[in-house]
Amino acid sequence: MSQTATLDARNRRTMLFAFLAALGMLGLGYASVPLYRLFCQVTGFGGTTQRATEADADIAERFAASAGGVTYSIRFDSNTDRNMPWDFKPLQRTDTVAVGQRDMAIFVARNNSSEPITGTATFNVSPEQAGAYFNKIQCFCFTEQVLQPGEEVRMPVLYFVDPKALDDPNMEGVEQITLSYTFHRAPDQSSASEGEAES
Amino acid sequence: MRRALESGVVRYKRMESFDAMTFGDIARKPLTFLTMAVAALTFTAAPQAVFAQDQAVTAPVEAAVEAAPADAAAPAAAEAAPAFEHYGPEMIKGQPTPGGIGFQDQYTADGSYALWMHDAILLPIIVVICLFVLGLLLWVIARYNRRANTVPSKTSHNTLIEIIWTVIPVLILVVIAVPSITLISRQYKSPPENAITIKANGYQWYWGYEYVDNGGFEVISNMMPEEEAKAAGEPSHLAVDKRMVVPVGVPIRLQTFGADVIHSFGIPSLWFKIDAVPGRINERVLTIQEPGIYYGQCMELCGARHGYMPIAIEARPLDEFNAWVMTQPGGTTPELKAAAAAAEAAAADSEAADAAAPTA
Amino acid sequence: MATTADTFQAHGDEHHHDADHKPGFFARWFMSTNHKDIGTLYLIFSIVAGIVGGGISGIMRAELAEPGLQVLGHVVNFLGGDGASFDQQGHMWNVLITAHGLIMVFFMVMPAMIGGFGNWFVPLMIGAPDMAFPRMNNVSFWLTVAGFCSLVFSMFVPGGTGHGAGTGWTVYAPLSTSGSVGPAVDFAIFSLHLAGAGSILGATNFITTIFNMRAPGMTLHKMPLFVWSVLVTAFLLLLALPVLAAAITMLITDRNFGTTFFDPAGGGDPILYQHLFWFFGHPEVYIMILPGFGMISQIIATFSRKPVFGYLGMAYAMVAIGVVGFIVWAHHMYTVGLDVNTKMYFTAATMVIAVPTGIKIFSWIATMWGGSIQFKSPMVWAMGFIFLFTVGGVTGVVLANGGVDDNLHDTYYVVAHFHYVLSLGAVTSMFAGFYYWFPKMSGKMHSEFLSHVQFWIFFVGVNMIFFPMHFLGLQGMARRYPDFTAAYAEWNHVASVGYAITLVSVGVFFINLIYAFVAGKKAPANYWGEGATTLEWSLSSPPPYHQFETLPVIEDHHSADDHISAKPATV
Repeated sequence: MSQTATLDARNRRTMLFAFLAALGMLGLGYASVPLYRLFCQVTGFGGTTQRATEADADIAERFAASAGGVTYSIRFDSNTDRNMPWDFKPLQRTDTVAVGQRDMAIFVARNNSSEPITGTATFNVSPEQAGAYFNKIQCFCFTEQVLQPGEEVRMPVLYFVDPKALDDPNMEGVEQITLSYTFHRAPDQSSASEGEAES
Repeated sequence: MRRALESGVVRYKRMESFDAMTFGDIARKPLTFLTMAVAALTFTAAPQAVFAQDQAVTAPVEAAVEAAPADAAAPAAAEAAPAFEHYGPEMIKGQPTPGGIGFQDQYTADGSYALWMHDAILLPIIVVICLFVLGLLLWVIARYNRRANTVPSKTSHNTLIEIIWTVIPVLILVVIAVPSITLISRQYKSPPENAITIKANGYQWYWGYEYVDNGGFEVISNMMPEEEAKAAGEPSHLAVDKRMVVPVGVPIRLQTFGADVIHSFGIPSLWFKIDAVPGRINERVLTIQEPGIYYGQCMELCGARHGYMPIAIEARPLDEFNAWVMTQPGGTTPELKAAAAAAEAAAADSEAADAAAPTA
Repeated sequence: MATTADTFQAHGDEHHHDADHKPGFFARWFMSTNHKDIGTLYLIFSIVAGIVGGGISGIMRAELAEPGLQVLGHVVNFLGGDGASFDQQGHMWNVLITAHGLIMVFFMVMPAMIGGFGNWFVPLMIGAPDMAFPRMNNVSFWLTVAGFCSLVFSMFVPGGTGHGAGTGWTVYAPLSTSGSVGPAVDFAIFSLHLAGAGSILGATNFITTIFNMRAPGMTLHKMPLFVWSVLVTAFLLLLALPVLAAAITMLITDRNFGTTFFDPAGGGDPILYQHLFWFFGHPEVYIMILPGFGMISQIIATFSRKPVFGYLGMAYAMVAIGVVGFIVWAHHMYTVGLDVNTKMYFTAATMVIAVPTGIKIFSWIATMWGGSIQFKSPMVWAMGFIFLFTVGGVTGVVLANGGVDDNLHDTYYVVAHFHYVLSLGAVTSMFAGFYYWFPKMSGKMHSEFLSHVQFWIFFVGVNMIFFPMHFLGLQGMARRYPDFTAAYAEWNHVASVGYAITLVSVGVFFINLIYAFVAGKKAPANYWGEGATTLEWSLSSPPPYHQFETLPVIEDHHSADDHISAKPATV
């Protein structure tokens, strides 16, 4: 009798461990959402751009001075989702910047529909390995933009290419980096209707 | 059933000839294609040649660009627009062969390398492994069946042989890995700065080709109805109403984007496949080696008409590509744009500059 | 069930009476806590699901037999849609491929391998009276059944362009979120939740049973390889399924509650879903094949009358396959836009799997080498398995190369590859296991002649279906297409004829089953003779309703797999 009792106890303990392992994996499954985002932001995985402060930019600029004025061509790309009635274009298709040098690109968005629409933007750069070196000091990504019917806004992006790119063998042969933005119709359109109420 | 048997005979014969092709003559098979290509080229190039002489539009990239010809470009291009003729079915190069058993012929350098890697390394290795295992099984059946060997041995370990069958597969894998890694790094070569950028946008259920370096117009490409395709001499399910015209021999920066769900831009004869994902762009370089028509299809399940959004690439020499661009609304070429800019700078207030501007 | 009692009585009259005390019909089959009964339920369920899933492939092969759409319209009409609508036909195609994939993976192979054979023979082989948690075992089974019902139900409710979930078994966002309006996808996802929950409970049960309930002397390194395979499988299930559960729960909330985990419009990333899915999905394919490996090991040893060659190598090769299986997932995603280093890493890691797999193949052959082989039906199926699995394995090596896969990704070459390892590999091993153990489970001998006939028809049929798919894939034919250009017609026609042949072999299987139950001879305890050495052969066929009430003691022997002299102090 005591033997079966200990077996039961052992079984329960094993089951508990097994369930904990399963729960842990379940938790990891959910945690993967922020972890993946973090991983992309840190490593530039999948062409995720980096965020930088003005101070970072200053440092980069000083490093760049010693890099001998290598330049990259930057292409600006714009997309809109299919259900997004905005016209969204870069002011300039390409630009050439020296490594480490700050530059500004301007995108223009215009609401072609007859109702106010909230948009959010996602972005990536290609080739993928350039993500780790493409720094944005200031941009309009993920902030919700409300455009009234026919309204047009100019949206600036302040960026620089990290001089560390020159040391990365994967960046060899990269002559042009594409910075791509996509405007989506925000799932939550409440701010758009608020904007309408105000106007 | 009877039909199957009958065609089975035909198929058997075909298999032999394709076998020979796969293992032996991997080199580009159709001399006939080449001759046809030459014929077609001369045919289509004849009007182009005249066109090219007095228009800056079709000038090669290296050519010095002057402001003056640009003036005439806009009206002339509009006039000449109908002169552009699409390739006919005789220029089809990338398409499946009836009953074919190998890869489609390849028309990119990376594709040829990958094809070589498959046909000269992978395929022989896997065939040999399968035959080796089959041979061992047959040997075991013949030698160690109960009649031939009544008393089983009791061997259950042999360290040496276990090490051998661990190490040899590792060595085989290393042999495979070297060209495999080379192939990947070749495919990931970045396009040069002056590569022509074309975007393939996937929609439910058609493709849109955006020529961002050529004025930003978008060509919407739908599948051609079966009867129309047959009438045009093109394969059904692959033919489209408006092809994706691209320049041949120069690198193309091909970017893909999915406007609603994930699609995938795949061309078997160019060894090219990249997904079109919502919210981001993907990019690979594509350099097609020969003029011709190359068919592909959407390769990622995207809904009800996933099977009905084919891709047809028409690769043309650069001057013909530029001529085609000029037939498109808002179409322009970098040379022309530069020319327009130069003209504007030279004579900011002249009438000529005004005329050139709209084309830029 | 009188026969069972008879056999039992015949086996020995010293048996304690309540060892064979069975509950009434409802309590026995609906509230079952007996591992053998639950195993039987799983096997019956798996056969039913196999008929449904195989029937769906029949519809698909009929549609693909000729270019053009001939069959789908009728299916749409049958399910209450508008068969004349082109979009509804296309959608129905997607529903069929989705259902076929999900049914075969979650409701046919897994229940048969783990639920059926695992439940039946793991306790018998380790000398345990039952599973550790008999009631939980029953819950697992009925959750799986409920999941199947939910999936079938999804085919009758709106799912976007037509009825049913047309997302592919991978349920990629955003096609499965914003791309499919209607409750069908929710039901399909819910069915995965249910089946997944059932499998996690089952996995816990197996792990506990194998760790704690082995008979005295049955050390881990003496366990039969089938038990090893189920142990590794259980761990894979335990660690992989929760990730799937998390991913598809996020799909549900994205669909219904306004979250944006995978929606770029809200800052999510659809690629993340693919990472999560394949983090589960790749171990899943090993979940489907590992128990097959275990069964093949038992069968080959039995009919060669030799212990398994390199027992430890075999056991740890399975562990290695399980571990490496967790770090290769992105080879299913070579074309999504991975960067160059990631693609190279996954290429290299994927190829590594070929090494332990090769060890297994060669060890099986070495087991036969020097043996005294008897070609009974399970052995013939097992040898067929080795060859077919090798063919499926080597095409896997081709696909592992990221650069080569660029052209093969999502083509019929991939379809051919995974059907060679699953439809020809896993299913062949299931038939091998079935004929190996069927008399043990039922107490009736099947017809060896019919089993052999079935094997040869099956072998010709499935090769005829799937070998031409390599050619189609190399030629560029895309997966999940209901229709194709004329150039693909010939090989597609061959494949469809192959389906008809396979169907005949399935018919022979059912005739064999009927034969066994109607006219089959009574099976003795060990009907395979000398080579069958594991503990289940020391029990009657079928085994007593409650076995090993006094635990058998496994004596120490020179050979790891040699348990013949285990003294079952049966009840």
